[in-house]
Amino acid sequence: MIQLVDVTKTFDRFAAVKGANMMVPKGAIYGLLGPNGAGKTTLLKMMAGILRQDRGTITVDGEDVWENVRVKQRLLFLPDFVYFFPHATIRQMADFYEQLYPSFSRGRFTELRSAFSLDVDQKIQQFSKGMQRQAAFWLAFSVQPDVLIMDEPLDGLDAFVRRHVKQLLIEEVAEREMTVVISSHNLRELEDLCDIVGLMAQGTVRMERDLNELRAGMHKIQVAFRGGFPSELAERLDIVHREERGSIVLLVVRGEKRSIEETVSSFAPLILDVLPLSLEEIFVYEMGDVVDVRETVVG
Amino acid sequence: MSAKRLSANRAMWTQNVRQIGWIAIIHLLLWLAAIVLPIGLSYSQYDPKVGNVPQWKNVYYISNGFETLIAWLVPILAAAGVLRYMHEKRSADFIHSLPIRRTELLVGQVLFGWMLLIVPLAVTALAAIGCLYGLDLPWPIGAADVGRWFGETLVMETVIFAFSIVIGVLVGQSVLHIVLTNIFLVFPAGIMVLMFSNLSLLLYGFPDMYYLSSELEQWVMPIRYAMLTDQAMSAGEIGMLLLLSLLFFGLSIWLYERRPTEAAGQALAFSVLRPLFVYGVAFCSWLVGGFYFGNVESKWSWTVFGYISFSLIGYAIAQMVIAKTWRVFHRWKGYIAFAGAMGVICLLVHLDPLGYEQRVPALADIKQVYFGQSTMNFEHPEMIGRSFQEVDQFLRSQDNIKAVRAFHEQLVHDQPSPPRFANIRTVVIGYVLKDGTRLLRRYVVPIEPYMPYFQRIMGSKEYKQQYYLLLRPGGYSPIRQVTIRNVETGRAEVVLAEPKEIESFVQALKQDLWNEPVEDIIGGGRAWQGNIELLQSDGDSFSLPLDEYNLHVRQWLEERHMWEKIEK
Repeated sequence: MIQLVDVTKTFDRFAAVKGANMMVPKGAIYGLLGPNGAGKTTLLKMMAGILRQDRGTITVDGEDVWENVRVKQRLLFLPDFVYFFPHATIRQMADFYEQLYPSFSRGRFTELRSAFSLDVDQKIQQFSKGMQRQAAFWLAFSVQPDVLIMDEPLDGLDAFVRRHVKQLLIEEVAEREMTVVISSHNLRELEDLCDIVGLMAQGTVRMERDLNELRAGMHKIQVAFRGGFPSELAERLDIVHREERGSIVLLVVRGEKRSIEETVSSFAPLILDVLPLSLEEIFVYEMGDVVDVRETVVG
Repeated sequence: MSAKRLSANRAMWTQNVRQIGWIAIIHLLLWLAAIVLPIGLSYSQYDPKVGNVPQWKNVYYISNGFETLIAWLVPILAAAGVLRYMHEKRSADFIHSLPIRRTELLVGQVLFGWMLLIVPLAVTALAAIGCLYGLDLPWPIGAADVGRWFGETLVMETVIFAFSIVIGVLVGQSVLHIVLTNIFLVFPAGIMVLMFSNLSLLLYGFPDMYYLSSELEQWVMPIRYAMLTDQAMSAGEIGMLLLLSLLFFGLSIWLYERRPTEAAGQALAFSVLRPLFVYGVAFCSWLVGGFYFGNVESKWSWTVFGYISFSLIGYAIAQMVIAKTWRVFHRWKGYIAFAGAMGVICLLVHLDPLGYEQRVPALADIKQVYFGQSTMNFEHPEMIGRSFQEVDQFLRSQDNIKAVRAFHEQLVHDQPSPPRFANIRTVVIGYVLKDGTRLLRRYVVPIEPYMPYFQRIMGSKEYKQQYYLLLRPGGYSPIRQVTIRNVETGRAEVVLAEPKEIESFVQALKQDLWNEPVEDIIGGGRAWQGNIELLQSDGDSFSLPLDEYNLHVRQWLEERHMWEKIEK
């Protein structure tokens, strides 16, 4: 479990993170969403023990991250621009990681060799950007960390590799209960990956939501009534959005699916369809109070 | 340290070997070229018939300048190498995300850097000893000399390296790391030179040279290293330098624990240092401007121009380095405040509220005066009286004390500032008072207007007697031979070996010296007609010019028909 309480970080006079709070349960994939300049990278680097917060606490399983070897041995950070030693090959980097991380697994490294078809003895800097990122993933998965923190990791990967990496990530989480924090400025990138989404803007985490709860707690329905939409029904439903297309009314409603169906059915509708709601749509409605950021991440 | 921690360090060391191991190789090659190669070359060029064994008094004689360069620059390079990881943004992020504590990381890096220094030094020392004993030649140096060289060089490289590590933790860029280390290595002496020479601009008569000659350069490590040829390190000095290295090392760890990772790529790692840096650079360039223009053009307008222009440039450059952009011209307010404050300080010093410039001791207080050209001999009277003509003298006669004091008063009153290339002479006036207080002033004086003052002092019996070796009582051993040589050919035209003849010649010569006008002593630009060489009984000889003022000598020579030989 990763917990951030009232974390603040200021560069010179610029406050990059201002009193951020965040909670990532063990085994969760946490998506940190936010526009560029929201403070995501700074927050992640503090979480990884690279930067030191000016104020507040950052703990992994109750222990401070800063200068804590025990925590950092279980935690791996994948930056937005991956770094390798100059002239290093994947084999050399693997040796390096093996000496630093007790959880590094040779077996896993060899196993993943087929997944990433990269030459282990070629200099990584001669790889393309996407290949370098794959190499970073390969090494990261071989380390088998308990906590994996990734800053915009899927940028620059083609669709095939992206799906592949996501698959590996999900497996890893399922098998080892790895905790993952992953940042992105694009909601769609995280749609089929995250359990929890945090929305960051102007240095704070504005809201945190469990996606399954969100999905279960908001629905889009299409209804039609003889004699128009009963006003009493509008009062009994928690309507987030309403749109009329002739006699058909499109509603986005908060609540459990069954109770919504029951409530609507009791007014004898001519049509009642419950339609699937995309994560994007949920966000558009859920983030009513953070309108300023909505467009950029949902875009 | 547990096995796991060792493993973390081993990982970093493996990486260091790959990335900066070449520094050790360069280091080794440089030392081999500086020390072992010359030994080998001397061996191959040795000719037993000639006996051309190199004249090395110690290892530093082998290639001194080159050795100094290595001992000075390689440790800085090593420091820049081992701290490079924190000066580049991406590597700083990467390394600091790893499970290694900062102290452990820095200790590991510093140890590795030190290995880059000590291993090549040890190999060079062994190779040198091997050559000295393996190659059969009557070498002037041996294992003990190599041992001394190894120890002293290691101490010197260690202290420069440790110092550079501190600077490296303070800055965020490798280039700045190297530049600033070099600047701060010469800083202790440099800032003194600048301060004193500026004081001499602001305070009329301030003897800057006096303060500058006092062993300042010992504190500039590369210069100290170059001085090892003749001045070995004492155990105390070695201990002090090692202690200093340890302090630097401790300080760098303390700083590193507090150093923000995001400093990578910034000019300075700690924001509190920024104003210090900007105004420090502005201050130093202010002094440099004064130093330069004050010495080149001794006009006030130029000095002020030097102050303003140099400090403004310095200020702007410092701002550019900090902000990492050319566009710093909106930050002029800080400069105005700085220039204002410096102007006030300089004006205050110049107004001399303590009365430094006007201070002339009362006649009754003076025990003796010092009159000459060098400030150094005031402090080192034992150095006086070694040359044939001694300009620097302590004078004790009341007449001379009065004369020197009168000259001093006149100078304080007139404050002449002659142009640079005029007919000028440095005048150093010092006092030793009865209560032991000492006072020293230095002036640059135009000669003609003050000739009467020079004449009164330098024409006095006391001064002249001390001026010429020949006039000093007991100043020389009995003369065994007098040779007068032709200036151009160097041929001996007249040789006197008969003691009576010599005695009478020397009397004539002394007569001439007593009569020599002060203008001639000061001017010196006279036509030599010959060279009088006097060989003493102790084997030393000294010579005097034979010129138009040697009337008695000429008469003496003419009476004996020797003058013709010289005339032709």
